[in-house]
Amino acid sequence: MRESTIMFLHYVTAILIVITGLIHLLANNDPVIGATIKANPVLYLGNMAIFLAALLYHAFNGVRVILIEMVPDRCWTKWISWAILIVGIVTYAVGLQVLMVALGFA
Amino acid sequence: MASEEAKEYVLPPEVLEETMKASEELWKPVRKIKFRIYKYNPRKDYAPYWEEHELEVSRGMTVLDALLIIKGEADHSLGLRYSCRMGLCGSCAMMINGKQMLACQTRVLEAAGSGDVVELRPLDNFPVERDLAADFTSFFEKHRAVKPWIIRNDDVELNNPTGPYKQTVDEYARYYQFTDCIKCGACLSACPTAATDYEYLGPQALAQAYRYIVDTRDDGLDVRIPVVDTEHGCWRCHFAASCSDVCPRGVDPAQGIQLLKKLLIKRKFGFKPHKPAEALPAKVKAEKKE
Ligand code: SF4
Ligand code: SF4
Repeated sequence: MRESTIMFLHYVTAILIVITGLIHLLANNDPVIGATIKANPVLYLGNMAIFLAALLYHAFNGVRVILIEMVPDRCWTKWISWAILIVGIVTYAVGLQVLMVALGFA
Repeated sequence: MASEEAKEYVLPPEVLEETMKASEELWKPVRKIKFRIYKYNPRKDYAPYWEEHELEVSRGMTVLDALLIIKGEADHSLGLRYSCRMGLCGSCAMMINGKQMLACQTRVLEAAGSGDVVELRPLDNFPVERDLAADFTSFFEKHRAVKPWIIRNDDVELNNPTGPYKQTVDEYARYYQFTDCIKCGACLSACPTAATDYEYLGPQALAQAYRYIVDTRDDGLDVRIPVVDTEHGCWRCHFAASCSDVCPRGVDPAQGIQLLKKLLIKRKFGFKPHKPAEALPAKVKAEKKE
């Protein structure tokens, strides 16, 4: 993937974090929205799945950027990107599992 | 007419006297300044060290003037690089009291301020060639990597030009400021990203990539994308803008990099920066001549 695509997604995920994070906060703090969400658990799970994906992408890409600047060796750059991708996917799978259990889907 | 032209223009005596006085004032020694100079020859010295010289300086004396006096009178081995002495070649960029500046453009008293010490060392973020001269090999390699020349696909026109390429004043204004770059390396030296990431292309090369990409005569965007749109390309710029802060030519490379990022994102959605300019037909050229 071109670096511009990765960084474009970095900016998009930042916006997604704000939107889905806000929905998450309102669901837990606003009684009216909270009640709506309780009536539609699948929607809430969807929101949280997007929130978690965006958050992990944004955070892990940030770590990747720091690492490739600190270890600029071109050969290491590839390894760092792959390692971060694998750790990110595993973390997402575990996070999703936790979310599903917490929301009573599994 | 010819004899009138040949007449010598003589300044009125009072103006002449004033000019002479001002010039004498400018070159009269006014203060003693201590120069703290970095010395290191990687081929010979185990470690860098500092050397100090004291000099009577005048208001008009530049750091380069002072260095040449020191080299001529006190330390012949002093290594420094300079060429045009008028801020156009960019050879004499160095750290003057901790800031990237051109030695030929900086007056000693201006650098010293209220203090009486001027510290000189080679540019940061560059390997040392000798004393105050930095090694520019990788800087120029990065510059060359972005293909800083006009790339065209119309070989026929290129090989047999019928006229100059069309370009409006507005199109020229888009890249004009970047043409002022003298490749002095001050921006790369001030860049915090370049300080840790030696593979980072750097503000100079990236701003030049932008300069050529937005030039309507150029059609080389796709050729340059694999160079600038990489892990160590324009996306590593954190926009601290310290590069623009130190540029002695008033170029704003930080802005160029952000515009380059914008251009690359727009390219993802199919926008091209411009249509390649066409050559002016030969007829227009002939008409203009008339
Ligand atoms: S952009 Fe400015 S500071 Fe950088 S190399 Fe060009 S002239 Fe020097
Ligand atoms: S704006 Fe970008 S290129 Fe300029 S100093 Fe900051 S990180 Fe370096």
